[in-house]
Amino acid sequence: MTTTAPQKKVKERSLGQSQFSVAWGQFRKNRLAKTGGVGLILIYLMALFAPFLAPDSLSSYSTTDITRFQPPTPVHFRDPQTGALTRPYVNKFSQQLNMDTFVNEYKATDEKCPIYFGVRGASYKILGFIPGNLHLYGTGNDQAGCNVFLIGGEALGRDLLTRTLYASQISLTIGVGAVLASTIIGLFMGALAAFFGGIVDTVVMRLVEVISAIPYLFLLLLLRSVFPQNINPIFALYVILGILAFIGWGGLARVTRGQLLSVREQDFVSAARALGASDNRVMWRHMLPTMTTYIIVTLSLSIPGFILLESGLSFLGIGAVEPYVSWGSLLAQAQEGGLSSLNSRPWVLIPGFFIVFTVGCFQLLGDGLRDAFDPRKRQ
Amino acid sequence: MIPFLVRRFFQAIPTLFLASVLIFFVISLAPGDFLTPARLNPGISEEQLRNLSISFGLDKPAYVQYFYWMWNMLHGDFGTSFQYTQPVLPVIWPRIVNSVWLVLLNLVFFYAIAIPIGVYGAVRQNSFGDKSINVVLYFLLGFPSFFLFLIVIYFILQIRNATGWDIPLGGMTSNNYDQLSSLAKFWDVLRHLLIPAAVLALTDAAGLTRVIRGLMLEVMRSDYIRTARAKGVSERTAIWKHTFRNAILPIVAGIGGLLPGAISGAGFVEVVYNYPGITPMLLTAINAQDLYLIAGFTVISTILLIVGNALSDILLAVVDPRIKVG
Repeated sequence: MTTTAPQKKVKERSLGQSQFSVAWGQFRKNRLAKTGGVGLILIYLMALFAPFLAPDSLSSYSTTDITRFQPPTPVHFRDPQTGALTRPYVNKFSQQLNMDTFVNEYKATDEKCPIYFGVRGASYKILGFIPGNLHLYGTGNDQAGCNVFLIGGEALGRDLLTRTLYASQISLTIGVGAVLASTIIGLFMGALAAFFGGIVDTVVMRLVEVISAIPYLFLLLLLRSVFPQNINPIFALYVILGILAFIGWGGLARVTRGQLLSVREQDFVSAARALGASDNRVMWRHMLPTMTTYIIVTLSLSIPGFILLESGLSFLGIGAVEPYVSWGSLLAQAQEGGLSSLNSRPWVLIPGFFIVFTVGCFQLLGDGLRDAFDPRKRQ
Repeated sequence: MIPFLVRRFFQAIPTLFLASVLIFFVISLAPGDFLTPARLNPGISEEQLRNLSISFGLDKPAYVQYFYWMWNMLHGDFGTSFQYTQPVLPVIWPRIVNSVWLVLLNLVFFYAIAIPIGVYGAVRQNSFGDKSINVVLYFLLGFPSFFLFLIVIYFILQIRNATGWDIPLGGMTSNNYDQLSSLAKFWDVLRHLLIPAAVLALTDAAGLTRVIRGLMLEVMRSDYIRTARAKGVSERTAIWKHTFRNAILPIVAGIGGLLPGAISGAGFVEVVYNYPGITPMLLTAINAQDLYLIAGFTVISTILLIVGNALSDILLAVVDPRIKVG
């Protein structure tokens, strides 16, 4: 009598299904990973359309009406007299110096500032070339005190939400950019070491060892100190990206070297050589493609680490500098005026939750990809 | 054991040598040389400048300068900090000691959190407790340490306002530290260290807990554990003596590799907590372009790391008797 094992569901698969389509099928079954992916798409869309979603421009603030650390303005939907639904509005805020505590206090006045959707305001360019001046919401009037601060104001009286949205552009780019750059360096160096062997191999592997022996934060600070403090803010971003890439390539180079050394001895490489393929072709067409899945998985799993590191550097004040801003440098405001003043303005912590959300999504996605490419975890 | 240690010592030398070359190379990339800040300082005379310039061989090619620098360093002379106009070593040494205390206490918490939770997760695999701990830890992985610490500080402030407890919120010592007895001094420092060390350990422990859980699960399925159980050893012995001791070997081997991350991670918390450790001083040194101070910190912490690596190898030899033979 023959019995079929119950767990083996033989599915009709078309022949010649590629590794990627198998992985994609696996990935689609993983609900957590899909959630992570969707979260990332949303947050990247948010970064892309930040100028439109934000009610203000990156660094516009009033020099006459300084709204330093203004608390979030509640949005009202009902008319206080009649109780009927009205167009959403915020109260106009006035500032008063409390003569007992000498703290500037914000008080809501009775005057209403209605919120309009699709108002014209500060002009911007999406992706640097699509011009516009339409904003999702805003009061559309320039009166002092008539600001919609959904999550409060920051140290110079700018809208914290606007700053957070703009910050996402930098926070989401630098981490990913640094991972891509360090992957390229790592692959190149690993291939170099495996291919040439001998002295090149020793030098590269020793360099990897040395870089990992120095505490990464100090190496980062040391490298940053090579450049003057007051460099162009845009250049500073590239510097940070470069430094992050420089300290991050070691692990991948080591794995690449090991993998290529083992692949070099395999039959398909010998066959390619026997057929007269050039070194270049063997490397690019036959040896490096064996690394593809490994690279996809490590890429997605190392992005969260780099995003955290970038936020840390910006927090320390050596990443994104004014006028540019990243989530980390927004969090640095929490320290302004001593930690005990954090009590009076807890909303400055909100940008941190964007970091947590992004990193969480990348982790879910990375874990999902790892499982999808792992034949032992196939479902 | 002794030959093993000797071999380990000699293996560390090239790494240390190359690290110092890298650090020197990076510093010489910086605009100006070591004496640029000194030249701007009217308090330093021409005579002193010339002496400094000769003692560091600034008139000679770069590799000769390196050997001068190295030679001075081997004699305990790390150069002069231009910010403090003092030799570097006495300036940075107390800071390094402070940071080491924080890192050590952090490591104690780190293992005290990760080991029991990881073992629990493996022993009660897929139970409700295991799953909920996993979710919490996964969530914690996404928090930058300084952000979690800021949140903790916010809650401490609330507790302080509500109850009037005197929970320390920064620094390493209280104002009246000098008048305390030595036991009270110890308690005072410990009280200041507890919260930052615990928060730091919590953010880091998430990763290790998952590793320990995985390793434990792997070992628990092996034949010799079944044999031990069949022989009738108690559950406790089976888990802690037979499984755990074998499962932690990769972790003991990894302690050394953990230290660079631990020191760097502590740096962020030091900045938030206003703790007199390495990183806050390093940041001011960067603003002041005080290169000798930066180099001193980097060299000494690299030496400490390599020592830590060697120690973890020795520890591994203690835990795993097979190492000593090889």
